[in-house]
Amino acid sequence: MAGGKKKKKKLGYRDISLNIMPFIDVFSLLNTFLLMSAVFLSVGIIEVQIPFLTSAPPDKKQDDKSCSVKIDMSKETFEVTADNCGVETSKKFRPDKAGADEMHAHLVNIRKQNLDTDKVQFFTEDDVIWKDVAMALDAIKLRGPKDPVFVKKDATDAERAVGSDALFPKVVMASVILK
Amino acid sequence: MASVNTDSGDSLELNLMPMLDIFSILITFLLMSYSTDPVSYDVNAGVTLPESMTTVTLDELPSIKVTKSEILVNDKKVATVIGGDVPEKDRAQGAIMPVFKELEKLAEANKRALRARVAERDKSKIFALTMEMDRSHTFKLMKRIMLSAQQAEFITFKLMVAREGE
Repeated sequence: MAGGKKKKKKLGYRDISLNIMPFIDVFSLLNTFLLMSAVFLSVGIIEVQIPFLTSAPPDKKQDDKSCSVKIDMSKETFEVTADNCGVETSKKFRPDKAGADEMHAHLVNIRKQNLDTDKVQFFTEDDVIWKDVAMALDAIKLRGPKDPVFVKKDATDAERAVGSDALFPKVVMASVILK
Repeated sequence: MASVNTDSGDSLELNLMPMLDIFSILITFLLMSYSTDPVSYDVNAGVTLPESMTTVTLDELPSIKVTKSEILVNDKKVATVIGGDVPEKDRAQGAIMPVFKELEKLAEANKRALRARVAERDKSKIFALTMEMDRSHTFKLMKRIMLSAQQAEFITFKLMVAREGE
């Protein structure tokens, strides 16, 4: 209270320092949260159906002359049987990744010529392992990045949404009811 | 630069910049790989999922889990798996009896909860089961489970897979 003027000290470059502690605190919290909530394995699903008995009348659109696609899978081979589809009736492929790719190309060809056929009946031998079944389902269900989009002429909005991702959206595991 | 003065008057300085660099890189990586899937689920320790290119993400937790040694329905152990199959005593007409019984209860609960709200054409959506299964199991076991589920009126299966390239 002497009344004297306080002389302001001029701050030099070396006197200024940035307090980075709050910055580190925020980073630490964010890091902890992200590490705790991180999911390192992304899980997806493949949807399939199994046959069931129903008292509902048969679908009028389906007749004996419509295209039907059946796939038999064993440890030795994939066999695609396409009746009334305008392509080779029966074709076999090796049950490996290359064979699955070839089968996928064949199925794309079938679907191109039969837009209204969106269902495949899938038969599997008992001794085939789930890992190989998943590989086959990928080849049957999924539309590749270079494949065209397949949508039925009278498709609903939901079917259009599914069709944009799928080659054959409906896969029926037909061998489930076989002894 | 964090600093502290010692008793002797020396100033000790800790360079925090490398730590900040590490934090920045770690946070960038975690934010880039952050999953926006609707359901976050850690796969059972006893299960290795097969890989798939599917883009469909998991939308509900699995009801059936098939590890290398047991079958669980809603986290309750219902059957044992020995040599890739269930014991003879648990089998009936190709299906697995304890699995069928548990799924029948689940179907009843689903029916009661959703009867008033769901149209007949959406029945397949209600009777959908999500299944987590080890990739080494044969289709024989999967078929038994599917047959058990079919008898309990479940006709749609969502088979869990590990998405490739994620």
